[in-house]
Amino acid sequence: MRTRVRAGDPGAFAELFDAYSRAVYNHAFRLTADWSTAEDVMASTFMEAWRLRDRVDPEGGSLRPWLLGIATNTARNQFRSNRRYRRAAGAAAAAETAVPDHADEVAGRLDDRQRLAAALTALATLRRPEREVIALCLGEGLDYEAAAEALGIPVGTVASRLSRARRKLRAVTEKDLGKDPGKDRGKREVPRPARQTRGDHTQAIRPAQEGNR
Amino acid sequence: MNANTPRQDSAESGPEREHEQDVRLLSQLLSGTARDLPSGRHRFHKERLMAQIHEQAQQSQEGRTAAPVAPARTRRLRLPRLAVTLPLGAAAVAAAVVAAMVTNGAGGSGGGGLATGPALTTDVGTATTSGVPQLLDQISLAAAEGEHPTVKPGQFIYVESRTADTFVKTVDDKSSLASHELHRRQVWNSPDGTEGWLIDPAVNDSSEGETLSLPDERGNPLEAGLNHPTYDYLAKLTTDPDKLLAKIYKETEGQGNTPDQQAFTTIGDLLGESYPPAELYSALFRTAAKIPGVVVVDDAVDAAGRHGVAVARLDETSGQREEWIFDKKTHVFLGERVVQVNQPKGEGEDALMKPGTVTFTSAVITRAVVDGMKQTPSREG
Repeated sequence: MRTRVRAGDPGAFAELFDAYSRAVYNHAFRLTADWSTAEDVMASTFMEAWRLRDRVDPEGGSLRPWLLGIATNTARNQFRSNRRYRRAAGAAAAAETAVPDHADEVAGRLDDRQRLAAALTALATLRRPEREVIALCLGEGLDYEAAAEALGIPVGTVASRLSRARRKLRAVTEKDLGKDPGKDRGKREVPRPARQTRGDHTQAIRPAQEGNR
Repeated sequence: MNANTPRQDSAESGPEREHEQDVRLLSQLLSGTARDLPSGRHRFHKERLMAQIHEQAQQSQEGRTAAPVAPARTRRLRLPRLAVTLPLGAAAVAAAVVAAMVTNGAGGSGGGGLATGPALTTDVGTATTSGVPQLLDQISLAAAEGEHPTVKPGQFIYVESRTADTFVKTVDDKSSLASHELHRRQVWNSPDGTEGWLIDPAVNDSSEGETLSLPDERGNPLEAGLNHPTYDYLAKLTTDPDKLLAKIYKETEGQGNTPDQQAFTTIGDLLGESYPPAELYSALFRTAAKIPGVVVVDDAVDAAGRHGVAVARLDETSGQREEWIFDKKTHVFLGERVVQVNQPKGEGEDALMKPGTVTFTSAVITRAVVDGMKQTPSREG
């Protein structure tokens, strides 16, 4: 795949798009707090990836970190000030929770909306570099090395930003998810939920044709 | 391209439970932000991306080689990235086709003055089922990029192709294979299908051609349908692949050897001699991708001698494979052919069709909208 991308094979970019456009879109949303901006960022990310194709290292694994890194930069250019992010996040969180009570709205979906609003509120408390690391590592599940590669910073910097961000977020998340930390600790023997299968990670590797639904 | 990057818990050095709790909460929180792109946007952005890539790739290529291609001619053909292969096509007609068929001199039958050649033969390409969806996806994207003009009332759709076929000829109880040698076929049709003209020496009695205008001499009115589509009919057809496929199965019920083969053939016929709007053209390929038994053939040659990759389906009953041929690089549709792949079952006349026989072949040379019947697009485009 890396060879084909470097060679400028259009088919390789079509496959990349099918596999990762959703992940890039979601990552961009976490960084912009706006779905339509996220769509723009996603589209520019792949165009930018095409432009930067010969900078791809011929050796290496998945190109997902690379694309997420480009998306991070693109989002940064779209959304320079943190104040603007906070405003957008506030608006989006309000929009998500202000949806009228549909009787047929599934409880799980409502949950998702609340979770999204909480996530935005939480992300808005962070500084931009911290938010980027959180979005990459917790949102998209990259490990430290991949996040460092995506952001072009040392692994140690990723780790320190992440731990700082976590400290800030802890209070917010516990409050917003209505979890009592003490109670949670008491249940530690219960098998942990299969977190790997949550979120978009399974769907990040979709076969090419599925993109055309 | 596998995305199963390990979670960072594995990288976590200390087994600090508080941290684990943290991570879990945060991940749950963030998973709530994952969404699909709004309906239709995936395809929209993908097509736009691919169009931009093709455009840039072409620009850089033109900058490098500055080959003396005929731009007006290629634009008229609406096959923009055929620039390199097309001028070769004309020469290849001579080479490849002459290799496949040796004319037998004069002596044809009425209405088919060309029915003189021996059987057309070819090398049977290798079929594989892997990569079918990907290839059709690329073809569909290439098709969506092409500019298909809208046809106004009073205008005509003009399709020029090269075609040849092989058939069983029976004279005095003796059957043998014969062929219509490669020839030019020109068709004009009004968008509503009521007016038309055909020039095809293998069909016409007169070199002037014949009218296709309706109602015909028996007073048959026009009834557009999948098997006799007009431009107006195609422009109104659904571009939803599932709905289109359902419609095809429904309307061709009972026709052909099997429903799947008939659906494939129906789409093939729509491709060959029509000029539908780009949305439908692209949708046809996405529809074909949903038919069971579709394969990719590594190498196929169209009637103009252009080599390409084919999307094909084997008719198990007849042992014939219908191949839609596309340029290997640009995925532009070149033409279609039907190849006898397996020895036909039974002892009848059909048994004369040995594997490797090309029973039908065609190459689309020009598709254009013109202002009058029997008018051809000007060289300037």
